[in-house]
Amino acid sequence: MKKTLVALSVLLIMAGLLAGCGEQAPTSTLDKIKQAGKVVVGTSADYPPYEYVDETGNYTGFDIELMTEIAKRMGVSLEWVDMPFDSLIAAVQEGKIDMSISCFNYSEERDQQVDFSDPYYTSQDAFLVAEGFTGTITDPADIVQYKIGVQSGTVQDEWVTTELIETGLMPESKLSRYERVDQAALDLQAGRIDVLVADSVPAQALIKQFGGFKIVYEVQLYTGPINIVLPEGDKALRDEVNKIIKQLQDEGFIDQLAVKYFSE
Amino acid sequence: MDIGRFFQYIASGTAYTLGVTLIALPSGLILGMLFAFLAVYAGKIATRFFSIYSTIMRGIPPIVLLFILYFLMSGAINLTPFWAGSVSLGIISSAYQMEIFRGAILSVSADQMMAARAIGLSKIQAIRTVIFPQMIRIAIPGWSNEAAIVIKDSSLVYAIGVPEILRRAQLISASTQQPFLAYTTAAFIYFTLVFITNRLLNRAEQKLTIPSNP
Repeated sequence: MKKTLVALSVLLIMAGLLAGCGEQAPTSTLDKIKQAGKVVVGTSADYPPYEYVDETGNYTGFDIELMTEIAKRMGVSLEWVDMPFDSLIAAVQEGKIDMSISCFNYSEERDQQVDFSDPYYTSQDAFLVAEGFTGTITDPADIVQYKIGVQSGTVQDEWVTTELIETGLMPESKLSRYERVDQAALDLQAGRIDVLVADSVPAQALIKQFGGFKIVYEVQLYTGPINIVLPEGDKALRDEVNKIIKQLQDEGFIDQLAVKYFSE
Repeated sequence: MDIGRFFQYIASGTAYTLGVTLIALPSGLILGMLFAFLAVYAGKIATRFFSIYSTIMRGIPPIVLLFILYFLMSGAINLTPFWAGSVSLGIISSAYQMEIFRGAILSVSADQMMAARAIGLSKIQAIRTVIFPQMIRIAIPGWSNEAAIVIKDSSLVYAIGVPEILRRAQLISASTQQPFLAYTTAAFIYFTLVFITNRLLNRAEQKLTIPSNP
């Protein structure tokens, strides 16, 4: 009996400590960022080409370069915090980091805990073929009858591998993985592959660059619109971030980044 | 990424691994030993209290305590990831080390305490000069086990963003598409750390052995 009482009181003390933790100062994170002169941004740098480490151990990638520009336009310096993807939402929620950019898709579940910026990029996947291609593709899985090319390690590679090869819909021998997307384009030109699956921004760049290609089908395979994760209910910060994203979209900055990171 | 850089990047996480271990293990040692003596010699209430403490702390997975300290308690105490990790591993280790020392104390026969008191030593003196020197010898093998566990558990702090060995291996694995090489490198570093620690502790154990006392 005594033991139970002691155990209960220990639990009560712990619960009391935990309960006191939900409250936070009602100021906007934006003020905090401007005051400190730096924005602390979380990312999970294990997801190339969006965020990864380069040879020197620095963070790089589409999201990283985009955030660098956003911080520049906010007039503050940028501090990166790397943590596993699963910990990022909790870290934003608890104010451990000011925001997080890590190829986040919107989901209702996540939206209850944190806010999302406007999408800064919508990944569309394009099925690129030579102009003389006569087949029809009305469903992504239709491509199993053709010889396919992807850039290795991309989301398209992942999609073809998991959805088509691992499910047994097509043999692995019909898939060619290239280190660079322009190598794949050369093989598409030469007829060694029939369909090149790539992110649509670089795919369009390839059409301009090579000529003689067309996109037969566009679809969202894996990624979809991606957003920056912001603290819940912080309108000032969200407006500021959205404003800068809009500017960067209008200036074509984001499309340039997409070409740089999704096709090289 | 060439192999040298690759290895260097992962190995530079060792500083964090050692940092976390060097805080968690000694603080666990001080608390654990103190708690063990209190649990054995400070009366019934202390015995009961520390038994509950040990049960709770050994029942919570280290990563859960880590998340509680770092995320849930952030309103009350704002710890950096490094300190949240070190403190939570230290707390959990204190419970395990307490059990190691408690067992060691109890295996020194109670008659010795009585004999020491009978020749006029105070309780504190008896503990310091009779019980402690024997207890420490008995505790070393178990303790070296705990040291190895803390070194390896320190990898858990990656979950809140401390760039230690394991997290760096993950990042390298993602950017180079060479998971095997990355994780083998991490395993090799952990193994080396544990190996050296155990060697040192073995040597201490041999040095401290009393020849006539098997």
